[in-house]
Amino acid sequence: MQYEPVMTRAELIDFALNKYFARVDAKDMEGALSCFHDTALFCVQTAFTRHSGKAEIRRMFEDFFGAYETIIHRDFTCTVDEANGRITASFVAELHDAAGQVTLLTNTNFWRLRPGPDGAKFQEVYVYMSGANVLV
Amino acid sequence: MQTWTEGGAGQAPLPYPVYIDIVTKRYFDGVDNKHMDQVLDCFTPDAVLTEVTSNTVHHGREAIRAMFVRLFTDFENIWHGNFVHTADPESNAICSQFTVLITPNGGDELRYENCNRFYLKDRLFHRVYVYMSGDNLLKEGDA
Repeated sequence: MQYEPVMTRAELIDFALNKYFARVDAKDMEGALSCFHDTALFCVQTAFTRHSGKAEIRRMFEDFFGAYETIIHRDFTCTVDEANGRITASFVAELHDAAGQVTLLTNTNFWRLRPGPDGAKFQEVYVYMSGANVLV
Repeated sequence: MQTWTEGGAGQAPLPYPVYIDIVTKRYFDGVDNKHMDQVLDCFTPDAVLTEVTSNTVHHGREAIRAMFVRLFTDFENIWHGNFVHTADPESNAICSQFTVLITPNGGDELRYENCNRFYLKDRLFHRVYVYMSGDNLLKEGDA
């Protein structure tokens, strides 16, 4: 195992979809960031981009939230490795900008959760995008 | 009988190691050593392999064979490693992250950081999705 697994299958899915993506879609910065350890890595593998630590992840979300008026993540298919504290999801990211342009991406995220004093959180996040990187 | 869906309900879970082994010891071992039959034996006859980043879709085992004929011909060395898996017996699926080192004939080695999502039907790959960190290497072959 990479990190000691502490969450059940249902808890991993709830964390990824309801605690994380629902807060991203609501542009709830503090709520979204609370899902990450301070030392978390956020990597967009299809663009060789890495955001290291919560400050860099915050800056990434500030730009992302500013670039799109409406952010929707939907149509999830989750794959859960409960024994190893890992979850993967494929989903559609639907992004509406101020000019009315809609960007649709079919992405896959891999999350690795590490236990900590405040509970298990994301230590590593890997994003694979079907198009241009929107998490710069 | 339930209709099969990717990671959907009603599937019979296999032991955890089966998922790791079909991806590493059977499928990618076959790809890296250019053993076509070993590779194709991992797929159902009507499997679909999609390269998501270029939206290239290969329908059926024969189209997948043609794709691999081209890959094996165009590249002199292929290696997949550094795997991290999300294996899920309950949904009969496995998602894998890995590094690819691949050398075109007479060219320089390329490094990719890719992922695959494999959805099984019974014991074989039925739907496979590939994300690549560079140009698509899984192009259509001459069927």
